[in-house]
Amino acid sequence: MINKISGLRKTVFLVPALAAITLLSCHSGGGSEPGNAADSSKMTTNSDTAMNTTATAPVVVATDDSLKMGIKDAVKDYPGVNATADNGEITLTGEVMRSKLQPLMMSLNSLHPKKINNKLTIK
Amino acid sequence: MSLTDKYKEIVDFAKASAVTNLQVREQNNILYVDGAVSSGTVKDQLWAIYNKIDPDFRSGDLVMNVSVEQAAGAKAKVATESSNLNIRQGPGTDQPVVGKAAHNETVTILSKTNDQWSLIKTDSGKEGYVYTQYLQL
Repeated sequence: MINKISGLRKTVFLVPALAAITLLSCHSGGGSEPGNAADSSKMTTNSDTAMNTTATAPVVVATDDSLKMGIKDAVKDYPGVNATADNGEITLTGEVMRSKLQPLMMSLNSLHPKKINNKLTIK
Repeated sequence: MSLTDKYKEIVDFAKASAVTNLQVREQNNILYVDGAVSSGTVKDQLWAIYNKIDPDFRSGDLVMNVSVEQAAGAKAKVATESSNLNIRQGPGTDQPVVGKAAHNETVTILSKTNDQWSLIKTDSGKEGYVYTQYLQL
Protein backbone atom coordinates (compact mmCIF):
# COMPACT_ATOMS: atom_id res chain seq x y z
CA MET A 1 0.00 0.00 0.00
CA ILE A 2 2.76 2.38 1.00
CA ASN A 3 4.71 1.41 -2.06
CA LYS A 4 1.71 2.09 -4.21
CA ILE A 5 1.29 5.56 -2.79
CA SER A 6 4.94 6.42 -3.15
CA GLY A 7 4.77 5.09 -6.70
CA LEU A 8 1.81 7.34 -7.34
CA ARG A 9 3.65 10.31 -5.86
CA LYS A 10 6.59 9.64 -8.09
CA THR A 11 4.29 9.65 -11.08
CA VAL A 12 2.67 12.87 -9.92
CA PHE A 13 6.08 14.45 -9.61
CA LEU A 14 7.32 13.00 -12.85
CA VAL A 15 4.55 14.39 -15.02
CA PRO A 16 5.17 18.07 -14.34
CA ALA A 17 8.92 17.42 -14.43
CA LEU A 18 8.65 15.86 -17.87
CA ALA A 19 6.40 18.67 -19.02
CA ALA A 20 8.97 21.20 -17.85
CA ILE A 21 11.76 19.37 -19.64
CA THR A 22 9.70 19.21 -22.80
CA LEU A 23 8.93 22.91 -22.58
CA LEU A 24 12.59 23.74 -21.96
CA SER A 25 13.78 21.64 -24.85
CA CYS A 26 11.21 23.26 -27.13
CA HIS A 27 12.34 26.65 -26.01
CA SER A 28 16.02 25.90 -26.37
CA GLY A 29 15.35 24.57 -29.85
CA GLY A 30 13.71 27.86 -30.77
CA GLY A 31 16.92 29.19 -32.29
CA SER A 32 16.76 26.69 -35.12
CA GLU A 33 13.13 27.35 -35.98
CA PRO A 34 13.71 28.63 -39.50
CA GLY A 35 15.67 25.44 -40.19
CA ASN A 36 12.87 23.33 -38.77
CA ALA A 37 10.33 25.13 -40.88
CA ALA A 38 12.34 24.50 -44.02
CA ASP A 39 12.68 20.85 -43.11
CA SER A 40 8.98 20.38 -42.59
CA SER A 41 8.14 21.96 -45.94
CA LYS A 42 10.70 19.68 -47.58
CA MET A 43 9.05 16.69 -45.99
CA THR A 44 5.67 17.75 -47.30
CA THR A 45 7.07 17.98 -50.81
CA ASN A 46 8.57 14.52 -50.50
CA SER A 47 5.35 12.95 -49.30
CA ASP A 48 3.47 14.62 -52.16
CA THR A 49 5.88 13.09 -54.64
CA ALA A 50 5.56 9.75 -52.92
CA MET A 51 1.79 9.86 -53.24
CA ASN A 52 1.95 10.69 -56.93
CA THR A 53 4.32 7.88 -57.75
CA THR A 54 2.99 5.46 -55.12
CA ALA A 55 6.57 5.07 -53.87
CA THR A 56 6.84 3.79 -50.34
CA ALA A 57 9.51 1.12 -50.20
CA PRO A 58 13.18 1.97 -50.64
CA VAL A 59 15.07 0.59 -53.64
CA VAL A 60 16.71 -2.71 -52.76
CA VAL A 61 20.01 -3.49 -54.47
CA ALA A 62 21.36 -7.02 -54.15
CA THR A 63 24.93 -7.73 -53.09
CA ASP A 64 27.44 -8.61 -55.81
CA ASP A 65 27.65 -12.16 -54.46
CA SER A 66 23.92 -12.62 -54.75
CA LEU A 67 23.93 -11.00 -58.21
CA LYS A 68 26.72 -13.29 -59.38
CA MET A 69 24.78 -16.36 -58.29
CA GLY A 70 21.62 -15.10 -59.94
CA ILE A 71 23.44 -14.18 -63.15
CA LYS A 72 24.90 -17.65 -63.44
CA ASP A 73 21.42 -19.18 -63.37
CA ALA A 74 19.95 -16.51 -65.64
CA VAL A 75 22.47 -16.75 -68.49
CA LYS A 76 22.87 -20.54 -68.39
CA ASP A 77 20.58 -21.02 -71.38
CA TYR A 78 22.03 -18.11 -73.34
CA PRO A 79 25.28 -19.29 -74.91
CA GLY A 80 27.36 -16.38 -76.16
CA VAL A 81 26.17 -14.05 -73.41
CA ASN A 82 28.67 -12.97 -70.79
CA ALA A 83 27.46 -11.20 -67.66
CA THR A 84 29.38 -9.68 -64.76
CA ALA A 85 28.31 -7.96 -61.56
CA ASP A 86 30.23 -5.12 -60.01
CA ASN A 87 29.05 -2.65 -57.38
CA GLY A 88 25.43 -3.67 -58.02
CA GLU A 89 25.68 -3.15 -61.77
CA ILE A 90 25.24 -6.00 -64.23
CA THR A 91 27.16 -5.64 -67.49
CA LEU A 92 26.26 -7.79 -70.46
CA THR A 93 28.69 -8.46 -73.30
CA GLY A 94 28.78 -10.95 -76.14
CA GLU A 95 25.92 -11.60 -78.50
CA VAL A 96 22.30 -12.67 -78.36
CA MET A 97 19.40 -13.20 -80.72
CA ARG A 98 16.90 -10.35 -80.54
CA SER A 99 14.09 -12.80 -79.76
CA LYS A 100 15.97 -13.96 -76.66
CA LEU A 101 16.93 -10.55 -75.36
CA GLN A 102 13.66 -9.80 -73.60
CA PRO A 103 13.40 -13.05 -71.59
CA LEU A 104 17.05 -12.61 -70.59
CA MET A 105 16.42 -9.04 -69.44
CA MET A 106 13.29 -10.13 -67.56
CA SER A 107 15.37 -12.62 -65.59
CA LEU A 108 18.17 -10.18 -64.87
CA ASN A 109 15.82 -7.38 -63.82
CA SER A 110 14.38 -9.63 -61.12
CA LEU A 111 17.77 -9.99 -59.42
CA HIS A 112 17.57 -6.49 -57.90
CA PRO A 113 20.54 -4.93 -59.69
CA LYS A 114 21.30 -1.24 -59.35
CA LYS A 115 21.65 -0.97 -63.12
CA ILE A 116 21.99 -3.14 -66.21
CA ASN A 117 24.50 -2.13 -68.87
CA ASN A 118 23.43 -3.87 -72.04
CA LYS A 119 26.46 -3.98 -74.34
CA LEU A 120 25.28 -7.07 -76.18
CA THR A 121 25.60 -7.34 -79.92
CA ILE A 122 22.17 -8.27 -81.18
CA LYS A 123 21.98 -10.80 -83.99
CA MET B 1 12.64 14.72 -69.70
CA SER B 2 12.42 12.96 -66.38
CA LEU B 3 12.41 9.18 -66.28
CA THR B 4 8.90 9.10 -64.87
CA ASP B 5 7.84 10.99 -68.00
CA LYS B 6 9.89 8.77 -70.31
CA TYR B 7 8.36 5.60 -68.86
CA LYS B 8 4.94 7.08 -68.06
CA GLU B 9 3.21 4.57 -70.34
CA ILE B 10 4.58 1.67 -68.28
CA VAL B 11 3.45 3.17 -64.98
CA ASP B 12 0.03 4.09 -66.38
CA PHE B 13 -0.44 0.60 -67.79
CA ALA B 14 0.69 -0.96 -64.50
CA LYS B 15 -1.86 1.13 -62.60
CA ALA B 16 -4.62 0.29 -65.07
CA SER B 17 -3.73 -3.41 -64.91
CA ALA B 18 -4.06 -3.57 -61.13
CA VAL B 19 -0.41 -4.36 -60.48
CA THR B 20 -0.19 -4.95 -56.75
CA ASN B 21 2.46 -3.41 -54.48
CA LEU B 22 3.41 -1.10 -57.31
CA GLN B 23 6.52 0.87 -56.39
CA VAL B 24 7.92 3.55 -58.66
CA ARG B 25 10.92 5.58 -57.63
CA GLU B 26 13.73 7.42 -59.33
CA GLN B 27 17.18 7.25 -57.80
CA ASN B 28 20.52 8.37 -59.28
CA ASN B 29 19.01 8.72 -62.76
CA ILE B 30 17.53 5.24 -62.76
CA LEU B 31 13.84 4.46 -62.45
CA TYR B 32 12.94 1.43 -60.35
CA VAL B 33 9.54 -0.17 -60.93
CA ASP B 34 8.50 -3.11 -58.77
CA GLY B 35 5.22 -4.91 -58.41
CA ALA B 36 3.35 -8.16 -58.72
CA VAL B 37 0.83 -9.27 -61.31
CA SER B 38 -1.58 -12.17 -61.37
CA SER B 39 -0.85 -13.23 -64.94
CA GLY B 40 2.17 -13.52 -67.15
CA THR B 41 0.29 -11.70 -69.90
CA VAL B 42 0.36 -8.37 -68.05
CA LYS B 43 4.06 -8.81 -67.38
CA ASP B 44 4.70 -9.47 -71.10
CA GLN B 45 2.69 -6.38 -72.02
CA LEU B 46 4.69 -4.22 -69.61
CA TRP B 47 7.90 -5.51 -71.15
CA ALA B 48 6.61 -4.90 -74.66
CA ILE B 49 6.01 -1.24 -73.71
CA TYR B 50 9.49 -1.05 -72.16
CA ASN B 51 11.05 -2.40 -75.37
CA LYS B 52 9.03 0.09 -77.43
CA ILE B 53 10.17 3.10 -75.35
CA ASP B 54 13.76 1.92 -75.02
CA PRO B 55 14.52 -0.38 -77.99
CA ASP B 56 16.68 -3.38 -77.01
CA PHE B 57 16.89 -2.01 -73.44
CA ARG B 58 19.99 0.01 -74.20
CA SER B 59 19.58 3.04 -71.93
CA GLY B 60 20.17 1.32 -68.61
CA ASP B 61 17.86 3.78 -66.87
CA LEU B 62 15.05 1.44 -65.84
CA VAL B 63 15.08 -1.60 -63.59
CA MET B 64 11.68 -3.27 -63.82
CA ASN B 65 10.95 -6.18 -61.54
CA VAL B 66 7.38 -7.31 -62.03
CA SER B 67 6.83 -10.77 -60.62
CA VAL B 68 3.95 -13.08 -61.39
CA GLU B 69 2.09 -14.20 -58.29
CA GLN B 70 2.03 -17.94 -57.84
CA ALA B 71 -0.60 -19.42 -55.61
CA ALA B 72 0.35 -22.72 -54.01
CA GLY B 73 -1.42 -25.50 -55.87
CA ALA B 74 -1.67 -23.49 -59.09
CA LYS B 75 -1.02 -25.25 -62.37
CA ALA B 76 1.63 -24.00 -64.74
CA LYS B 77 2.73 -25.05 -68.20
CA VAL B 78 6.36 -25.79 -68.95
CA ALA B 79 7.22 -23.05 -71.44
CA THR B 80 10.68 -23.98 -72.60
CA GLU B 81 11.53 -23.39 -76.25
CA SER B 82 11.45 -27.09 -77.05
CA SER B 83 13.63 -28.93 -74.54
CA ASN B 84 12.76 -30.55 -71.25
CA LEU B 85 12.94 -28.48 -68.09
CA ASN B 86 15.44 -29.50 -65.43
CA ILE B 87 14.00 -30.20 -62.01
CA ARG B 88 16.70 -29.63 -59.43
CA GLN B 89 17.27 -30.64 -55.84
CA GLY B 90 17.65 -27.03 -54.74
CA PRO B 91 17.15 -23.54 -56.14
CA GLY B 92 20.28 -23.02 -58.26
CA THR B 93 21.86 -24.33 -61.44
CA ASP B 94 24.66 -25.72 -59.29
CA GLN B 95 22.15 -28.11 -57.73
CA PRO B 96 21.86 -31.68 -59.05
CA VAL B 97 19.13 -32.43 -61.58
CA VAL B 98 16.64 -34.83 -60.00
CA GLY B 99 14.22 -35.04 -62.91
CA LYS B 100 12.81 -33.44 -66.03
CA ALA B 101 9.49 -31.92 -66.93
CA ALA B 102 8.55 -32.20 -70.58
CA HIS B 103 8.03 -29.19 -72.84
CA ASN B 104 4.36 -28.13 -72.54
CA GLU B 105 3.75 -30.46 -69.59
CA THR B 106 1.50 -29.13 -66.83
CA VAL B 107 3.02 -29.08 -63.35
CA THR B 108 1.76 -28.02 -59.93
CA ILE B 109 3.41 -25.15 -58.09
CA LEU B 110 4.04 -25.98 -54.45
CA SER B 111 5.72 -22.71 -53.47
CA LYS B 112 7.73 -19.84 -54.79
CA THR B 113 11.27 -19.76 -53.40
CA ASN B 114 12.20 -16.36 -54.84
CA ASP B 115 11.70 -14.42 -58.06
CA GLN B 116 13.86 -16.96 -59.91
CA TRP B 117 13.00 -20.37 -58.50
CA SER B 118 9.82 -22.30 -57.74
CA LEU B 119 9.22 -25.63 -56.03
CA ILE B 120 7.00 -27.78 -58.23
CA LYS B 121 5.59 -31.27 -58.53
CA THR B 122 4.88 -33.15 -61.71
CA ASP B 123 1.84 -35.35 -62.21
CA SER B 124 4.14 -38.36 -61.99
CA GLY B 125 5.16 -37.24 -58.50
CA LYS B 126 8.59 -35.80 -59.26
CA GLU B 127 9.29 -32.87 -56.93
CA GLY B 128 11.97 -30.20 -57.08
CA TYR B 129 12.99 -26.71 -58.11
CA VAL B 130 12.67 -25.19 -61.56
CA TYR B 131 13.61 -21.82 -63.03
CA THR B 132 10.39 -19.80 -62.84
CA GLN B 133 10.93 -18.13 -66.18
CA TYR B 134 10.08 -21.41 -67.88
CA LEU B 135 6.71 -21.70 -66.17
CA GLN B 136 3.72 -20.15 -67.83
CA LEU B 137 0.83 -19.35 -65.54
